Amino acid sequence: MPEVALSGQSKLKAARVLCVGAGGLGSPVALYLAAAGIGTLGIVDFDVVDSTNLQRQIIHSTADVHRPKVESAAEKLRGINPFITVLTFDTQLSSDNALEIISDFDIVVDGSDNFATRYLVNDACVLTGKPYVYASVYRFEGQASVFATAGGPCYRCLYPEPPPPGMVPSCAEGGVLGVLPGLLGVIQATEAIKLVLGAGDTLAGRLLLVDALSMRFSELKLSRSSDCPVCGDHPTVHELIDYQEFCGVRGEERDNGLAVPEIGPVELKRLLDGGEELFLLDVREPHEREIVHIGGHFIPLGDLPERVHELDSAREIVAYCKSGVRSARAVEFLRSAGFRRVRNLTGGINSWAERVDSSLPRY
Amino acid sequence: MIRIRVQLPAHLRTLARVTGEISVEIEGAVTQRSVLDAVEVNYPTLRGTIRDQMTHRRRAFIRFFACGEDLSLESPDRSLPEPVATGREPFLVVGAIAGG
Repeated sequence: MPEVALSGQSKLKAARVLCVGAGGLGSPVALYLAAAGIGTLGIVDFDVVDSTNLQRQIIHSTADVHRPKVESAAEKLRGINPFITVLTFDTQLSSDNALEIISDFDIVVDGSDNFATRYLVNDACVLTGKPYVYASVYRFEGQASVFATAGGPCYRCLYPEPPPPGMVPSCAEGGVLGVLPGLLGVIQATEAIKLVLGAGDTLAGRLLLVDALSMRFSELKLSRSSDCPVCGDHPTVHELIDYQEFCGVRGEERDNGLAVPEIGPVELKRLLDGGEELFLLDVREPHEREIVHIGGHFIPLGDLPERVHELDSAREIVAYCKSGVRSARAVEFLRSAGFRRVRNLTGGINSWAERVDSSLPRY
Repeated sequence: MIRIRVQLPAHLRTLARVTGEISVEIEGAVTQRSVLDAVEVNYPTLRGTIRDQMTHRRRAFIRFFACGEDLSLESPDRSLPEPVATGREPFLVVGAIAGG
């Protein structure tokens, strides 16, 4: 292509791009950047491949289950393009290592799956002057932009604060259409390549909304906020902070530790086998119960306030959902309503399927 | 009475138990405040999710758009753009998501 030519290919070869996360977004990002000939590709991820990842994390295969994601990803990338350098960081990106890792790259592409990492990546990019190629997904919807370019807005200009823990479900809890991170990841890879080439108009100053159900793409204007604590006129954030605390994660964990009694799947199985008369409460949605259940009374979390009279506060109740997040909220609600003998199944039915009954499907 | 179209993010649609775009009837000035007041009357489960329940200020992880423009920092009592006020274009409530 004349827009790229040999000089453009040389720019790609000389470029150093860091992919944060080798998951749903990171998979297509890394695959396309490797194929495009990005000379040095960094992958940071602390997780291992799980079978439930494979529906969307297409850089990994069934044979990779239980392998570190960075190891699995690097193998595929070197298979596609043996002439690039793949640097792996089998660690959790944190305030302690982010600046050191990011400073070694030209562009950062964020494929993380939580708010704490997104604010960490944003702040590290602003502080080091690296463009931040952003996308996120939930169910059938996605968002993409390019932050932290000269004069452009950053992620904090758009969302100065994260939602409280639990208010916006994660993909693990709420689900995501498997191809959607593919769609958004390809957009991120496109933006990264344009940044390297210095060609075209990037998404800097624009938020792209993608609705896969209606297949509509909307574009919204964004501006840098003069009040932004990181990139504004009078910034107050000059170094990386504790992003777990900023996002309230530690508070949630602390609250859970005190307010939400838990029971693990193995312990629950032992009690049930021993004849304990436990009352199981499934708080998921009907379509989830169709996939798999372990019995018990069925009241979706949203219906619990108006159907709480169906429960006997004298019984010992164990609430469960897919991964333990919604059922923790159910337990909190029931305890606030006066129920004292109520516990949350740690890790939800997926953990039960993993640790107690492997014949059950996980989703 | 004017019927105003409103688009909500997925997690708020789930909370409101709706599957697509919603609409609310407004009598009088069509502003952020009048539209969101009507949304909260029609969908009480959304109270506190878009605006703080006490101060009625937009939450920091939510933004308002219309006709491609960011209206988040405008006065809640300023009239919404004509295409929104006449029901041709939706008022967009966009929320932070973090899935990847």
